[in-house]
Amino acid sequence: MPPVSSKLRVNVLFFGRVRELTGLKEEAVELPAGATLADLFGLYTARFPRLADFRASLVASRNQEFAAWDTPLSFGDDVAFLPPVSGG
Amino acid sequence: MILDYGPPQKAAPTPMSQTAETDWFELVQTPIDPSAVVRHVRADNDGAIVTFDGFVRNESHSRRTLYLEYEAYTSMALEKIREIGAQMHQKFAIHRVAILHRLGRLEISETSVFIAVSAPHRPAAFDACRFAIDTLKRTVPIWKKEYFEDGGVWADGELPPAPPSRPKAAS
Repeated sequence: MPPVSSKLRVNVLFFGRVRELTGLKEEAVELPAGATLADLFGLYTARFPRLADFRASLVASRNQEFAAWDTPLSFGDDVAFLPPVSGG
Repeated sequence: MILDYGPPQKAAPTPMSQTAETDWFELVQTPIDPSAVVRHVRADNDGAIVTFDGFVRNESHSRRTLYLEYEAYTSMALEKIREIGAQMHQKFAIHRVAILHRLGRLEISETSVFIAVSAPHRPAAFDACRFAIDTLKRTVPIWKKEYFEDGGVWADGELPPAPPSRPKAAS
C-alpha cells in the first residue's frame, strides 16, 4: 500500500466460508483515502493467503448492495465479501 | 442477530394498487407456520393463492443429510427480499406477497423458505411465485451448510451478478 496521508474507516462483515476461513465476523479497518473494494480485499488476502483462491467465487457488497470490485470506498461503509448464495 | 418485525397489522381493505403495504417479508429463527402465511395473503377480491414450501431434504448428492444450518447477512437479505416483492408487483398482476426464510439449525423436513402469492387469477400467482423463489436463490445473501455423518459442507450456491466495473455516474 502507498504511504497513508488521509484515511478512511470501513466496517467489514464476514459470512459463510469466508467467516470460517478468516475466523472473523466483523471488524473495522482503516484504509488510505481512495481505496477500492479490491484494495480492501488485498489487505485480507495478505493476512489470509487462502482467501485469494476464493476471489473468483466471491461477490463484494457495499452498504447492502452488490458492488463492482473497483468501487471506491467511503468513510463508514459496510463492506462484505460474499460467497455464492444458497438460500431457499 | 437482528431480525425483522412480525407480520404487518392487517389494515382495512385497500385498492389493489396499494396492497404492497400488506406484504410480509421476514427472516425467522423459529418454525414457519405455512397456514398463517397463507391466511395473511388471502383476501375476498382474490381467486387464487400459489405457495412454495421449501423444506429440508434428507439427502444431498446421495449422501444422507443430518440437518442444515442457515446463516444470513440479515439486513441485506431482508432488503433483497423486499426488492423481490417490489419486482413481483411490477411484473405480475398479483395482490399480496409473503416471503419468509428461516435461519439457524433446521432438521429434516422443516420448512426453510415459504412463499405465498395471492392474485385475482392463477396465472399471475404461479408466475410470480416461481419468479420469487428463483430470484431468491440467486440474489439473497443467505448461506446453507449441510451436515453429514462426516461433517459440514457449505452448499455450492450461486454467485449473485455483480454490477459491471466502473459504474456510471450514479452510485
